Amino acid sequence: MITINNLLKTYSRKIAVDIAQLEIRNGIIGLVGNNGAGKTTLFRLILDLVKPDRGEVLSNEKDISKNEDWKNYTASYIDEGFLIPYLTPEEYFYFVGKLHNRTRANVDEMLSGLTAFFDGYVLKSGKYIRDLSKGNQFKVGIAACLIQDPDIMILDEPFANLDPSSQIRLIQMVRELNKKKPMIILISSHDLNHITEVCTRILLMEKGLIIKDFQTSSDTLTELEDYFRV
Amino acid sequence: MIYTLLQHQWKSFWRSRSAGRNVAMQIIIGFFVLYLSGVAIFLGFSLDKILSEVSHGHEVIPVFLGLILYYFSFDIIMRFIMQDLPTLAVLPYLTQNIRRNKLVRFLNVRSLFSIFIFLPLFIFLPFIISVIGGKYGSMISLVMVISIFSLAFFNHFLVLFIKRKTILSQWWLIGFFLAIILVILADYFQIFSLRNWSVSLFTFVIKVPTFCIVFLSMAIASWYNNSGFLRNNFYLENLEKSSGEKKSADYNWLQRFGTYGDLMAIDIKLILRNKRPRTLLLLSAIFLFYGFLFFKPEFVDKNRFGQLLLGSFIVTSMFMISYGQFVFAWQSLHFDGLMAGNNQIKTYIKSKLFLLIIFSTISFLLSLLYGFISWKLIPILIATWLFNIGIHAVLTCFIGTRSYKGIDLSKGATFNYQGIGAAQWLYSLIILVIGVAIYLPFVLLINAWSGIAALGILGLICFIMQDWWLDKIVIQFQKNKYKMLEGFREK
Repeated sequence: MITINNLLKTYSRKIAVDIAQLEIRNGIIGLVGNNGAGKTTLFRLILDLVKPDRGEVLSNEKDISKNEDWKNYTASYIDEGFLIPYLTPEEYFYFVGKLHNRTRANVDEMLSGLTAFFDGYVLKSGKYIRDLSKGNQFKVGIAACLIQDPDIMILDEPFANLDPSSQIRLIQMVRELNKKKPMIILISSHDLNHITEVCTRILLMEKGLIIKDFQTSSDTLTELEDYFRV
Repeated sequence: MIYTLLQHQWKSFWRSRSAGRNVAMQIIIGFFVLYLSGVAIFLGFSLDKILSEVSHGHEVIPVFLGLILYYFSFDIIMRFIMQDLPTLAVLPYLTQNIRRNKLVRFLNVRSLFSIFIFLPLFIFLPFIISVIGGKYGSMISLVMVISIFSLAFFNHFLVLFIKRKTILSQWWLIGFFLAIILVILADYFQIFSLRNWSVSLFTFVIKVPTFCIVFLSMAIASWYNNSGFLRNNFYLENLEKSSGEKKSADYNWLQRFGTYGDLMAIDIKLILRNKRPRTLLLLSAIFLFYGFLFFKPEFVDKNRFGQLLLGSFIVTSMFMISYGQFVFAWQSLHFDGLMAGNNQIKTYIKSKLFLLIIFSTISFLLSLLYGFISWKLIPILIATWLFNIGIHAVLTCFIGTRSYKGIDLSKGATFNYQGIGAAQWLYSLIILVIGVAIYLPFVLLINAWSGIAALGILGLICFIMQDWWLDKIVIQFQKNKYKMLEGFREK
């Protein structure tokens, strides 16, 4: 469970994130909002990559800035800054697996489940990660998250960089993952269709504030479309 | 056309995002160039006097002729380190209606705006006109000027050619350095004498003036060679990077260190697979040979401990310094991932410490070969090594937490000021000052050997206390982490 108390982050007097209280429990949670609404900053705050002006983020009741235990069960992919560009994809997967005490055989097994997702472009490509296309880099990032078998998974705009088939596969994978064990999956996206399709709860952000927080229902899509039409 | 291209370069300089820093850098470089030209002109006009003092009443001209080849071999090394490849962001022009030859010529002409072309003239011209012209007449001095100018021109395009080749294949870089090291060694051990060659070559030129055509044609050939190479490699993939199958690699010997080993393996791959750290690595390999400059027999015999210590410091720690100045910033592009990934900060920093210690130990072991010059060097080398692994390594990590500027790994290393802030300029200075501060009191109060012992013992104590230091670095790192993350994310 992630708990956010009294969290504030500003950039040169402009509010980036301002959340008084938020609890995130197991489920697939979608984060929507226009550019600059603070989605990525919120993710970075949750990952202890940005220092808040005030307030705290607790992961399983422990302050993430004071204790590094959350790293054991949190996997995330925000952008290429999470990949090590001069490694081959395999090297990167083994490295990440090793940090979570997975053997190579473990990692290989996990990867074999992803052959369809990779579509023949990532593994044994004879390229360093920096030479892959942006979409394939994204696949490497997502796969690295899956290898960790996390309790909390954070993905920033995963649909934006993927081709249509991979988008559909990702939705399937996320659903299966959520069925397999209770976990938090946090996804941000501009794609309202996808997000209402896959998420159980949706947070709508505007200028750093969470202005709406609702469980997904049949009217959610129209509600969201009404908001963004303005 | 060439004028338009020059204009574009001008705009790209002023409109670049880091324009402010660029201008400041250019001004500093400008002063440096002015200073260098001043020194060269002064040297040129007093060369006459200096040489007649050195030659002890013998003839000056042979001494002068002996210098020329030395100058030009030094010139090649200096150019290789300092000379920029003229880069015109050539991509947008390739598909435009511009002849390839024109772009090539533009790149070549642009590269000529370089101080290195003028330095030899500043240095040699006054002597050639006054002394050589005085003795052999103006015809011969004109021939000498042509020869020297041609050699400068030849070096210029030769270095550009080699540098471009090294972009395509690493073997050229290794071969080039090996060749230089061989020449230095051969000259040091007097297998052949560059001086004698130089004297006989240019005496011959004075006797047979038409021989200067050889130099002239060498210069022209190197221009055409470079142009031809550029023309043939004016394709996108060649300009970007060499392709080729990339393979995964394991470093089994690192496995026994557990997570530290994995993190170190990443660092080693960083060095080997990226241009900037790789160039730095090779450059610091040259510094291993600096010992021959500092450990001269006369310094050793006269117990000039200052020189010996400085030499031993440079030899044993250059690699550590060039890597350590960006100890965390090297990974700026994926620092987000490292910090959000499942590795404890303490483990991460400890892996960096380990790596620094391994680097300095490798340089130390190699430098022990200098022990063949004199046994005295061995205790000095041991002391500096202990200082490096105990104090230098820890300080490197401390200073590293104060560096907030990221690095683009794909860019070259020379004259690349990206990622360099006050912390980097100060870094090596701080370490030297601390070393001197430990050494000096003992020298003044007791003697040099006690100062050397103090360096070693203090280094050893700090090395034993490493875990205590580590905790202090972790606290510092935690405090600065967010600032580092923010700085590294800016591009």
